[in-house]
Amino acid sequence: MSAAVASQWAQRRRRVFQSVFHTDDSQPTPHSTPCIRFPDQGQPFGGPAAPIVDRHGHGTATPSTIFSQDAAAAASTIDARSQLAQPLFPSLATAADDQVVFDRAWHVVTARIALPASATADDSFGTLPPDSQLPHQAYTSDVDFYDALALVVQAPALLPRATHTEDVVAWHAQQARSHFAQHVVPLLSGCLDDQGDEPGAENRGRYRGTRRRGDYYERHMVIVMSSIRTLEAALRLYFYGLGILVRGFYKLAVANGPSKPLGVDPELIATRFRRDIHALVGNSASPELMRSVSIVLVRLTGTILGIPSGYDSNGIGSVRSSQRPAPPTDDDLNAMAARQRLHELVEQLHNVGLAGERFQILFAEIMDSMMSDFVTGAYAGVWGASDTQSFSAATAMNTISRTAGASFTSPCILSLGDWVENHFSRLSLEVLSRVSPGAASPVKLSDVKTYQSLALGRLAALRISELFDIVLAWPSSRGALDDLRATITTTARRLQLTASFSHALQTRLLHPGCSTLEILRTYITIIRTLHALDHSKVLLGHVESSLQLYLCQREDAVRILVTGLLASAEELRVARKYNETAKKPIERRSQAGHTGTENRRGPEPGPFMTPAVGRGYRETPGTRKRQDSTPEAEPGDAEKAARDLSSTKLIELALILNDPLQSRRASPEDEDLDWNDMTWVPDPVDAGANYKRPKSEDVIGTLISALGSEDVFIKEFASVLADRLLTDPANFDQELRVLDLLKRRFGEAAMQNCDVMIKDVRDSRKVDTLIRRERKDRHEGKALATPGGQALSAQGAKEMEYHARILSRLFWPNLDREHFLLPTPIVEEQKQYESGYQGLKSGRKLTWLNQLGQARVELELRDRSVTVDCTTVEATVIYAFQDPDAEDENSSVRRSVDELYAQLQMDEDMIAAALTFWVAKGILRRVQHDVYAVAETQAATANADSSSVANAGSSGAVAGQQPGTAMSTAEDKEDGGESPRKTAGGKPAGASAKEQERRAMYWQYICGMLTNASATMPLGQMAMMMKMLISDGFPWSNEELQEFLGEKIADGELEVVGGKYRLPRK
Amino acid sequence: MSYSMEDSQNSAPGSLQATKLAGARKGPDGQNAVKRLQTELMQLMTSPAPGVSAFPSADGNLLSWRATIEGPDDTPYSGLTFKLSFEFPSNYPYAPPTVLFITPIYHPNVDFSGRICLDILKDKWTAAYNIQTVLLSLQSLLGEPNNASPLNGEAAELWDKDPSQFKAKVMDRHKDVDED
Repeated sequence: MSAAVASQWAQRRRRVFQSVFHTDDSQPTPHSTPCIRFPDQGQPFGGPAAPIVDRHGHGTATPSTIFSQDAAAAASTIDARSQLAQPLFPSLATAADDQVVFDRAWHVVTARIALPASATADDSFGTLPPDSQLPHQAYTSDVDFYDALALVVQAPALLPRATHTEDVVAWHAQQARSHFAQHVVPLLSGCLDDQGDEPGAENRGRYRGTRRRGDYYERHMVIVMSSIRTLEAALRLYFYGLGILVRGFYKLAVANGPSKPLGVDPELIATRFRRDIHALVGNSASPELMRSVSIVLVRLTGTILGIPSGYDSNGIGSVRSSQRPAPPTDDDLNAMAARQRLHELVEQLHNVGLAGERFQILFAEIMDSMMSDFVTGAYAGVWGASDTQSFSAATAMNTISRTAGASFTSPCILSLGDWVENHFSRLSLEVLSRVSPGAASPVKLSDVKTYQSLALGRLAALRISELFDIVLAWPSSRGALDDLRATITTTARRLQLTASFSHALQTRLLHPGCSTLEILRTYITIIRTLHALDHSKVLLGHVESSLQLYLCQREDAVRILVTGLLASAEELRVARKYNETAKKPIERRSQAGHTGTENRRGPEPGPFMTPAVGRGYRETPGTRKRQDSTPEAEPGDAEKAARDLSSTKLIELALILNDPLQSRRASPEDEDLDWNDMTWVPDPVDAGANYKRPKSEDVIGTLISALGSEDVFIKEFASVLADRLLTDPANFDQELRVLDLLKRRFGEAAMQNCDVMIKDVRDSRKVDTLIRRERKDRHEGKALATPGGQALSAQGAKEMEYHARILSRLFWPNLDREHFLLPTPIVEEQKQYESGYQGLKSGRKLTWLNQLGQARVELELRDRSVTVDCTTVEATVIYAFQDPDAEDENSSVRRSVDELYAQLQMDEDMIAAALTFWVAKGILRRVQHDVYAVAETQAATANADSSSVANAGSSGAVAGQQPGTAMSTAEDKEDGGESPRKTAGGKPAGASAKEQERRAMYWQYICGMLTNASATMPLGQMAMMMKMLISDGFPWSNEELQEFLGEKIADGELEVVGGKYRLPRK
Repeated sequence: MSYSMEDSQNSAPGSLQATKLAGARKGPDGQNAVKRLQTELMQLMTSPAPGVSAFPSADGNLLSWRATIEGPDDTPYSGLTFKLSFEFPSNYPYAPPTVLFITPIYHPNVDFSGRICLDILKDKWTAAYNIQTVLLSLQSLLGEPNNASPLNGEAAELWDKDPSQFKAKVMDRHKDVDED
C-alpha cells in the first residue's frame, strides 16, 4: 500500500523535475556510470577518473582479459570501421581523446539500454513499446548505437588509451538489480498488500481453508498471478536491454568475421544474465508470496491427485463429511483444468525465476503432505476384506506362507500403488520437468518405486495407529490385516507396531472401566488378529505381556473363561445363529465398495467402554443402536438373546472350542523333523531365545497360559463344573465334551478330579434308583404292617421324591457345610436314605450337605397354588412358614427373622436371602422391619406394596400351605471315615465360612513358620514365604497380612518385638 | 531315539547317554519333589497332628525343612521340645529325607551329633510315608526307644536300669537351641 503510493509520488516528482530540466537524455547513466564529476585537467566532460572506478565494483579487468587478441590487428579494423562513425566521433585521431570517445560511446550505449529510471507503476513497464517506437530512436540511430557498442566492447583494442573502460553487460546487470530492488520489490509487496488483506489471520490455515475457502484460494491465486505479471514485465524490460546488447554482439561478431572472434559469447552472456536475474528474483521472493504460491499449489495438486481440498489430515472423521480422496477419473474435467492451470503456473513461475530451489522444496513438501493426506484420507477405516473370493485366497495364502509376505497384496495396496504410479509420479514428473527443462527425466522409474515404498510406509503407519480398532472390528477387518502384513516388512516397523499397540492397550483397554469379560473378549480377537497377521506369534508375544499382567489382577478372569468354555449347547446355537445373521449385512456392505465408515464396526461384541483418552472410540451409543437395529440384521429374539448372552458370557470360547480346526494340534516333533516342509521359513528376527513356533492360533491355549498356570485353570474349572453338576442334574453333555477337549490339552491325569465328579453324579443316579426301589419295597411292607402310620411321614413319603447325589469328598472342591435344620419329613427321608445307602455300601457313611440341593415346592395359598423350583435353603425357610396349628382362617402366618433363626439354626444372611427370594416371588411379604407374612392372596401381595399392614391380616383363610412334593436333592458326601474336617470357629458377621477357613489356614502357616523356620520374622519375609509356599497362591498384600497379624497380636497369640513377629513363649 | 543317535556321533556314546538319562529323570522329579512338599505342607497346615509341626526353612528352600516335636507325656522327654532338620533329596518321596535332631537329645537311638537310627528313615522307607508320619514315628520313638540297636549305648542301658538317672541325663543334655 504505502510502497505503491510512495513510488507513485516519486514518479510524479520526477516527471515535474524532468519537464523543467530535461535531464532525461543528458543523464544516460544515472546510477552506474563510472563517475559524474568535474573532469580532470585536459579531459573533456564525462571522463571517469581512475581511482574511483573500483568503487562501483565492476572489474575493469574484464575487457582486458577478453580482448587478448593482437592489439595492432584490431586497431586496423577499427580504423576502417571508425570511418563510419565520423560524424559522431570526429576527433578519433587524437590519441589522447580515446577516453572521451569511449565515454561518448558509453553514453550512447547506456542511453539506449537504460531502464526507465522512473519506472514505477505497474503499467509503466507493464507494457514495453516495440522496438520501432522506442524513444531513443529519435536521437540515436541503430547504426550509431552499434558503432558505440563496438567501441565500448572493444575498447582495449580500439581505444587503447582510454584508461577507464567498463563492461556494459555488467553495468546492465547492476542496473537491473538496483531497479529491481528499488521499484519491483515494492510493487511485489504492493501486490501482497492489496490482495492478502489478512495474512496473519490465515497463517495458521496453511493447508486448511477457513470459512471462505473458495475466496481464499482465489485471492492467493490473484496474488500469485499479479506478482508473476509484475515480474514478467520487469524481466521483459531487463531482457529487452540485454537483447539489444546481445544483438549488437552478434552484429559485431558477424562484422568481425569468423577469423576474428569477438571474444564474447553472446549466448553465454545472455544465460549468465538470465541466471543472475532469476537468482535475484528467487531470493527476493517474500515469504508471503511463497505462502500464496504454496496455497495455490496445494489446491491445484490436491485437485489433480484427487484429494478434496480442505481435507483434514489431522482429525480423521472430524471433516469426514467431505468425500474421501480418490484418484480422479481420466475424464474428470476439474482435474484436467487444474492440471492445465498448474502447468501454466509452473511455466510462468519458471519463466520469472520463481521456480528455483525454494519452489522445489515447497513442491516437495506439498507432495509429501499430499501423500500422507491421501493415504490417511483414502484408507483410514477402510478395512473391508475385499470380497469372499480374495479373502479365501488370502487365507489359503496364509496357510502356505506363514509369515508376512508381500506375495498377496490387498486392494488397498493395489490401489495405492496405482495412485502413486499414475497420478503422483505423473504429477511430479510434469512439474519437475517444467521446472528444470534441461534435466533428463527428473523422475526415474526407481523414483517411482521409492514413492511407492514411501506410500506403503505411510499406509503401514496408518494401519498401525488403527490396529486397536482393527482388532475390535475383527473379523470384518481382514482387509486391513492384509495391508499390514504386506507393509510390515522391517523389524523397525514391527517394533513400531508392538509399541503403538501396547500403548493403545494401556489407554483403551487395561483400565478399570473395562469389564474382565470385555478384556478377555478383546484378548481373543487380539490373538486371532495378530495370528492372522503374523503366524509366528512373535508379535503377539510382544504385546500380550502387559495384557497378561493386567488380567492376573482380575480375579474373575479364570471363572469367566471357564464359564465361557462351558456354555451350553443351546447358548451356542443362539450365538451361531446370531453370528450368521450378523454376517450377511457385513458382506453386503463390504461388497458395496469403499464405504469404510460403515465397516468400522463389525457385529461382534457388546458395548465397549473406553475412556475419552486420546483418539478414543468414536462410536456413540446412538450409532451402535442404529446399527443393531438395521433391517438387514433381522432383529429378533435370537439376536436379542445372543446379545444378552454375549454381555454376560464369553460365548466365543465355546464356539472356538467346538471348532474342529482349533483342536487340531500337531506335535512339535513332527514339525521339526519335517524335511519336506516346503513352506518352512526361519523364525522372525525379533523372536526370543527360547521361541517355539506355534502351529495354530490356539486361542484357548494362549488364554489359559495367559491366566497363569494350568493348575489355577483346572482348579477353577473343577469348581465351576461342580456348581453346574450340582445345579443342573439332567444333562451334562456339554460338560463332558469340554472335559474331553481339556483332557486332550492337559492330559488325563490333570483332569482326574473332574472325571471323578462326573462319575459320582452318574453313579449316584444308579445308587439313587436302587435305594429308592428298595425303600419302596420296604415301605410298602411297612405300610401293610402298620396301616395307620404317621400321617405326615406317610403323606410325605407318598408325595415326596427324594433323590441324593453322592459325592466323593476328596475330589469335589468348595464343599463347605452350612448348618441348618431341615424340615422333619426331610430329615426322616435322609435317615432312610442313609440306612439304604449303608445297606448298599457297608462301612461308608453319608454326610449331608444340606445347602447344596434343589427343591420343587408346591404352595397352596388361599387363592392360588404355586410351584417353585428353589434351593433347599429357600425351601426350608418357606416350610417354616407352614403352621400346622394355625387353623385360624383370618390370619396369615408370620415369622420374624429371629424366630426363624431360632427354629432353623440357619445363618442369618441365608435366611435374609431366602426371605428376599420369596418376597420377590410374591409368596411372602414384609410386614414389619424383619417380620414376614404369607401373602395368601394376590391382592395382599399387591397391597403389600402400599404397605397396608392392616389389610394383610384381614382376609381370613386357611394357611393351606404345603411343603413341596418333590423335595429333591440333598447333597451328601461319601466319607471314608478318617476325615478330621476342620470347622472354623465362631465366625464374625460378614466373613464367609470359606474366608474364615482360609484365615485359619494362614494362621497355621504362620504358626508353623514361627515355630520351625525361624523364631522371629519380619513382615516382608513372612509375606514372601506365604506367597512361595501356598500352592494356591497367597492373595493378600503385605498390608492385609499386617492387619491380620495385628488381630492376632490383639488376641495375644502373637508378639511383635523390634519389627519382627514371634510367638509368645509359653 | 533319533536324537541320541545323532548326538552320539559327536561324543563318547555311553557317558552321554547316561548323563542324559540321569538328567531326564532328575529334571521333572526335582519339580515333583517341590510339588509334593507343597502339598504335604498344605496337609500339615490344614490337619495338623498334635505335638509335631514342620515348616520349610526360612531361606525359602523347599527342600530343607525345620520341624518341632514336643516330648510326649509319660516319657522322660515330657515338656521338652526338640528341633529337627529335614533335608529332602530331589527325588523325594522315592528316597527318604535326611533327618537330624538339632536340639541336643539324650536318647538311645540318637547319637551326639543328632543322627537318628530309625528304620523307616533308612531301608524301610517307602513313598507312602510323609513328613507327618515321620514326625509321629519319631515322637513315638521318644517314648519307646529301640534298645536293640542303640547309637548311644549308655542311654540304652540307663533306659532300662535307672530311669531317674536317665531323666536327669535327658534334662542335663537338653538345651533350647535359639536359632539365629
